[in-house]
Amino acid sequence: MNFITLGIRNAFRNSVRSAAIILILGISIGLSLIMLIAHQAVTNKISSIKSSIGNTISIAPAGFSAFSQANNSLTTSQLTKVKALPHVTGLVETLTDRLTTAGQTSPFSGFGGQSASTNPTNLISPVTLNSIGGGSFGGGRFISGGGQLPTNFSLPISITGTTDPSQLSGTNLTIASGKAISGSSSSNEAMISSAMASKNSLSVGSTFTAYTTTLTVVGIFTGGTQANSNTVIVSLPTEQALGGQSGDVTAAVATVDSLDNLSSVTSAIQSSLGSSADVTSAEAQANQTVAPLNSVKSISLYSLIGAVIAGSIIVFMTMVMIVRERRREIGILKAIGASNLRVIFQFMSEALTFTILGAVIGLIIGVAAGGPVTQALVSSNSSTTSSASTTGGGPGQFGGRGGGGGGGFLRQNFGLSAIGTNLKNIHTDIGLSLLAYGFGAAVVIAVVGSASAGWMIARVRPSEVMRTE
Amino acid sequence: MLKVVKVSKEFPSGDGRVTAVDNVSFEVADGKFVSIIGKSGSGKSTLLSILGTLETPTRGDIEIAGSNVSGLSDHALTTYRRKRIGFVFQGYNLIPNLTALENVMLPMSFNGIAKVERKNRAQDLLNQVGITETKQARKPGRLSGGEQQRVAIARALANKPSLILADEPTGNLDGETGKMIFELLHNLATSQNTTIVVVTHDLSIAGKTDQSFRLQDGKLVTKT
Repeated sequence: MNFITLGIRNAFRNSVRSAAIILILGISIGLSLIMLIAHQAVTNKISSIKSSIGNTISIAPAGFSAFSQANNSLTTSQLTKVKALPHVTGLVETLTDRLTTAGQTSPFSGFGGQSASTNPTNLISPVTLNSIGGGSFGGGRFISGGGQLPTNFSLPISITGTTDPSQLSGTNLTIASGKAISGSSSSNEAMISSAMASKNSLSVGSTFTAYTTTLTVVGIFTGGTQANSNTVIVSLPTEQALGGQSGDVTAAVATVDSLDNLSSVTSAIQSSLGSSADVTSAEAQANQTVAPLNSVKSISLYSLIGAVIAGSIIVFMTMVMIVRERRREIGILKAIGASNLRVIFQFMSEALTFTILGAVIGLIIGVAAGGPVTQALVSSNSSTTSSASTTGGGPGQFGGRGGGGGGGFLRQNFGLSAIGTNLKNIHTDIGLSLLAYGFGAAVVIAVVGSASAGWMIARVRPSEVMRTE
Repeated sequence: MLKVVKVSKEFPSGDGRVTAVDNVSFEVADGKFVSIIGKSGSGKSTLLSILGTLETPTRGDIEIAGSNVSGLSDHALTTYRRKRIGFVFQGYNLIPNLTALENVMLPMSFNGIAKVERKNRAQDLLNQVGITETKQARKPGRLSGGEQQRVAIARALANKPSLILADEPTGNLDGETGKMIFELLHNLATSQNTTIVVVTHDLSIAGKTDQSFRLQDGKLVTKT
């Protein structure tokens, strides 16, 4: 009979005691597995969130936010220094303003303090209030005159001058007809959305007025958000000239060569621009958003270590008890010719039997409870931060100096609100590798737990068999 | 030939040392049945442990079949014990969760003997000592004291040792069963040319052995 068979049979000498040991070990291993599942799920989630962020840095004038826009701007000369910083591979600058449809009756009382006659245009917005699903707009909160909209009312239209007309709000645009304008051109050419073109019966080559200047439609684009369809795109120099804001920029996005340099370049830009600008990278915001996940990750890691140690202690105490009980039997085995190593392996095999059976029970517990426990841990740790992340940093729908919106045309959303919302939607994946880790941990528990028992076995002299007679 | 030369064994005890075996010397020829007698605490079991290489002597030498085993390492002693020495204990000392057959097969597994051969030899040995096939499948708890001691003798013979050491082999048995066990050991010594050393306090047994040594306070006082 080999030592493995003997060890397995010895594990069942006392069935009641063995069942108790296996159950306790099962709970310990189950807890280890739950924490392993939680740790892996949270690590994957953090990795997924971090990999989804771009290597861009958002730059805006200090205090520039929705509904509280300050009358300050960045300047192209300031941003020239940013362009020259190491690791900055690109810089998109924008200047955003708001146009109001000439001849309309404004229903708003004090909506940013802008009168209906400022920055007039003959364009009509393709976006209606109902289409943006506000509801609250019609309830009399912002509208004077008992909540009824005038029949000739049109929402303000954004006009954005940009050095990169190929994208809007971080979304790549598709030219449906005509051509893209040049970001550095000074000509009075514009790109409008297909919705805007349809609403105003415009096509490539048509003209419209803005700031009392006639602009020619050279391109019609599709894609982007509903807010994008309410935007007229011109080059940055054109918008600076039209709005009389020479050298002004309301937002910029710097692109960095590598995610690794994101943090250092963010600091360098902030240092370069001083207190005149708010500089934020997606990384910092993502880190803030995933902070609760990091907390869960730490908790699960410490709990995992604790559970493995607890399991090892259970095996250790069990094996110490068994070895002390069977000193004479160890003496007999040695007296009739068993080597130290063989007796140690026999007892290790016994410990491994307990542990593997405990692992099976632990596996069932882990698989059953891994997902719910992970969800519970994430939910209890993310509620506060999730709430904070969904309310902060929202860009204005309607850009415009002194207008109702934030004017943050290129202030990137980064999808962080969505991250915050989806933080709790964590997926626990129990694959073969995880099960292999679980069994590996069980073997480690058995070996660590029985190692000292092995040392005790080695110290038992074969003459023990004579002394206990 | 078993040769014991000026063997002493001391143990630390409190503030001093106790001499359990004191300068003992004797020789036993192969195939002889020998008894060591003496009162409790006279050093009989300690001497048997030294002869069986379970203990190392503080001084002196033990030669078994021409080999001096006093200076061997623990590993070498284990190997030596496995191949050359068989033990029979007063309390039988069978492994409780193994059957009689498995108990006899166990020392052979330490010696690397194939399973089929182990089983055949164990069955032969158990048959020789009078354990039937039905009882061979029983665990020690379901055998009588005499049967357990016969299983222990079969186990001692498993690896064909040249020396069998028996510590009070009839101590836990009634007179009739004890006599049967003694006869069994005596026959084995004759039939298999195995040297058997029995420690006992039963003078009637001692009187029937080929040689007898009496220990008193660790010293050999009589050789017959």
